[in-house]
Amino acid sequence: MASPILVGERLCKSYVRGDRKIQVLYEVSLAVDQGEFLVIAGSSGSGKTTLLSILSGLDLPSSGRVILGGRDITGLSEDQLAPLRNRQTGFVFQAFHLIPSLNALENVMFPAELGKDPEARAKAMTLLERVGLSARAGNFPEQLSGGEQQRVAICRAVINRPALLFADEPTGNLDSRNSEGIVELLLDLHRNQGTTLVMATHSPALAARADRLVRLHDGAVVTSADRSL
Amino acid sequence: MKLHHLFRDIIHNRGQAVIFTLCVALSMVSLVAVNSLRRDVRGVIAEDAAALQGGDVIVRSGGEFTPALRDELARVVGEGMATATTAWEFHSVARREGGEAVLFSNIKAVSGGYPLYGTVELRSGRPFAEVLRPGAVVVGQALLDRLGLAVGDHLLLGEGRLQIVDVVVRESQRPVEFFTFGPRVFMSEGDLAITGLVGKGSRTSYRWLLRLADPGAAETVAARLQARAGEGERVATAATSGSRIKRFFDNLLFFLSLIAVFTLLLAGIGMQSSLAALLRRQVKTIAILRALGAGNRHILGHYLGLVLLLGLCGVILGIGGGLMLKGAVFQLLAGLLPEKLTLEASLADLFQGLGLGLTAVLFFTFLPLAGIARIKPAAIFRKETAGGLRRAMPRLALLLGLLLLSAVVVLQLDDLITGLWFMAAVLLLVAVMGGLAHLVLAGLARLDISSLALRQAVRSLSRPGNASRTVVVTLASALAVLFSIYLVEKNLRAAYIESYPADAPNLFFLDIQKDQRADFIDLVGSDAELFPVVRARLLAINDREIDRRREVERRGDSLSREFNLTYRDSLLADEKLVAGKGLFGGNRAPGGLPPVSLLDSVVEIGDMEIGDTLHFSIQGVSLKAEATSIRSRTRSLLYPFFYFVFPEETLKAAPQTFFAALKVPQGEASLLENRVVSRFPNVSPINVGESAVELGKLMAKLSLLVAFFASLSILAGGLILVGSILATRLARLEEAVHYKILGGDTAFVLKVFGLENLVLALLSGGAALLVAELGSWALCHLVLDISFRPYPLASLVAVGAITTVVVALGLLASVSVIVKKPGAYLREHSS
Repeated sequence: MASPILVGERLCKSYVRGDRKIQVLYEVSLAVDQGEFLVIAGSSGSGKTTLLSILSGLDLPSSGRVILGGRDITGLSEDQLAPLRNRQTGFVFQAFHLIPSLNALENVMFPAELGKDPEARAKAMTLLERVGLSARAGNFPEQLSGGEQQRVAICRAVINRPALLFADEPTGNLDSRNSEGIVELLLDLHRNQGTTLVMATHSPALAARADRLVRLHDGAVVTSADRSL
Repeated sequence: MKLHHLFRDIIHNRGQAVIFTLCVALSMVSLVAVNSLRRDVRGVIAEDAAALQGGDVIVRSGGEFTPALRDELARVVGEGMATATTAWEFHSVARREGGEAVLFSNIKAVSGGYPLYGTVELRSGRPFAEVLRPGAVVVGQALLDRLGLAVGDHLLLGEGRLQIVDVVVRESQRPVEFFTFGPRVFMSEGDLAITGLVGKGSRTSYRWLLRLADPGAAETVAARLQARAGEGERVATAATSGSRIKRFFDNLLFFLSLIAVFTLLLAGIGMQSSLAALLRRQVKTIAILRALGAGNRHILGHYLGLVLLLGLCGVILGIGGGLMLKGAVFQLLAGLLPEKLTLEASLADLFQGLGLGLTAVLFFTFLPLAGIARIKPAAIFRKETAGGLRRAMPRLALLLGLLLLSAVVVLQLDDLITGLWFMAAVLLLVAVMGGLAHLVLAGLARLDISSLALRQAVRSLSRPGNASRTVVVTLASALAVLFSIYLVEKNLRAAYIESYPADAPNLFFLDIQKDQRADFIDLVGSDAELFPVVRARLLAINDREIDRRREVERRGDSLSREFNLTYRDSLLADEKLVAGKGLFGGNRAPGGLPPVSLLDSVVEIGDMEIGDTLHFSIQGVSLKAEATSIRSRTRSLLYPFFYFVFPEETLKAAPQTFFAALKVPQGEASLLENRVVSRFPNVSPINVGESAVELGKLMAKLSLLVAFFASLSILAGGLILVGSILATRLARLEEAVHYKILGGDTAFVLKVFGLENLVLALLSGGAALLVAELGSWALCHLVLDISFRPYPLASLVAVGAITTVVVALGLLASVSVIVKKPGAYLREHSS
């Protein structure tokens, strides 16, 4: 059995909005093995995105801890997290979150350039060719369709060949034809590069293709099963 | 329109609301201060006109009054219409008995009954008329201090020896000491003869002061006397007579008005920019209101109410700030302002401020408010909220608005031509800055920059909603004006005060009589340069009479004054010929008009050219001459220059005095002054070194005042920068989150935002410096006629300082963005 690359222990998250305290996660614990494709499923408001944010180090849990590659990242500062985000993890968002002032090529190059990779441009171009967007390398996000933007976002997430890729509803803003293409691309990366994939989705079809499914309901894990719905 | 909805909108958009309000306040501050000060100064001058001028009717002349005017005056007095007194005013040297100390003084000899109006307050508290008897003088404290004298000592004036009997504390006709060189010396008219100071050719102002039985008849009496007045004799009423104080304040306040209007225009751009940013945030709300059936009237009414409410707060803040600024100006100008002037705020200040402020608010907010009408309900579905507020105003409305604004500017400046030129210059400046900003920003966007942080910073300049161009235009325009003031002041100082050349004359002697010339040379040495001076008035150019009324209204030199003509046959060392064949036009046909060479500055004033016929009057004798050449000065020193130069044969026989320029070691100047004045009491020395120091003090004070007013316009640029940062807060937040998600640390985010502000600051500072250097060069060369130095080091230090402030301000306004956790942003954003 492969060793876990990511562990979440008794994760809780609550925040205050106005005079109300909202509890989003209740003592969620899970482990993700290296090379695994894990789907976190659940209805809207179940806490999928919050869990993904905490597991990826984008947000802090109110209690509990996150261990990434054997290192507790819960108490790390933003600047300590920065190299981890740049080299070890990648993130694909439902809303793409491309940098509007950069064109497609520059968006893809960005993480590699941050890491001072001299091959950044060549790698980015190769990735864009692979997803069929080399002709649109000079286009800015606003000039690209939703499907194209998401393909650029995936290229950006994987340019530094991270061991762990987080995807939050990656097809949530796309039509069915584009959704299929994005799913294939992610699975292809998972299979061919051995990237561990942690994906939040409420799509049963996508969940069906995962190695393992964790289902959330009102911030708590209700099901955890291998290759099943 | 519901008030609580307005307050809610204001609180929801508090950042932009505060910027908008501050812009309105800023647009008002300097205008209110200048207008209120002008009203006070004019009020004091008008209210106290008779005391300031010394009479209801004032008759002036540069020489003895003509018999016709004397007779008419005697008739007026004889008819019981007026009582009259006389005053002779001139400059000469006062000397200490038994010592070498001398002091250039402002001497006034008065007859009985002086002053008819106002007072001359003495330290003893006794009435002036009782104290000033023949053989006595009353002096200013400065004279006692500088000559080391005390009341009871004797003072030498020309050939006279007079006893100091009292000290002047305050004088209605000289409320401010700064505008006259030398301390005051009052003497009795009867002692003039024994001093020998007033004689033919001496530079004395003769004055009759009349107190009328019926002050309402001033115009009638003045007209009656004017009808008999000869050439060079001027009759004025207290209301129409100009004064140096009034002219000084008119000019100073006019210049401050120009800067205040400039600040208003830049702050206006800030108002527009911040309101547009506020409304951009409201696009979805407006779209929802429309979807729910709200009409244009309802929505526009709501936002117009919001603008007026914030505008009113800004105007009130601006009026308060303006009155505080006025207080600061009051302190700074202490010693220059009339003593009777008191610091007060009037209802007129309040109403004028309200009127001006609300007009400015309505003009500058019209464009963004008009854009509301174009927002469609479909904007609800658009993710991007930047659209919908663009260029909705038709060109005609823009033109009308500009005309209205020009009218306000003209009214404020009280000068149509200057007002229109000013508006054109400001529009040109803004257009030049806009063009430069556009070119550089477009060029930068095309650059292939290898540094990731710099590339990102440059790209960020064009993020949606970023007011990069507006920031550059306003900051650069304000800085250009401030740099220009600095550069021109430095160059003026260099030309007239600091770099006074070692070999240039530093001691001038005026009014040397023809028969004193040889003795004078014997006394001072043959190094002295003597220039003949013939006093004359210009009557007409090409038979077109000089319009004296119009000339008097000129801000600079005018053709209505008395000129000093001279004769010589060659150019001076600091002159060059710019037009004409030789000084007097080469070979000329006999029997024609005598030639005259003109200095380029008088050519400009009178719009003259070679071939023009100039008609002069030399103490009543007519002289017509033909302009044959135009000269220009190559160095700008305190060195003698003459507008009109004739051949010797033309003026040789005219009544004339001589003017001498000498270079003496500064320590020996007093001794020489003393020797000359002892020997020739009618001759007046002017120590240029001392005058330059006094001039320097005045310039330093005024340039501080002007720089302070101009620096307010930079605040407008700063406010727009902060407004722009606030307006793009969401976009910046998103960028910062992206950088962090992709692995950028705090240093990287700081670097990108810092570089973005650095580019903005360098662009603004660079453009400002370029325009200021070119503008100051043009001003120095073409208008002031002085040599220009660019002061590159000081200029670069100024750009560096501004850059530091802008970068710091930008980073400070971005702190909340930089420290935001990505997860928190994503959660808030998704919800």
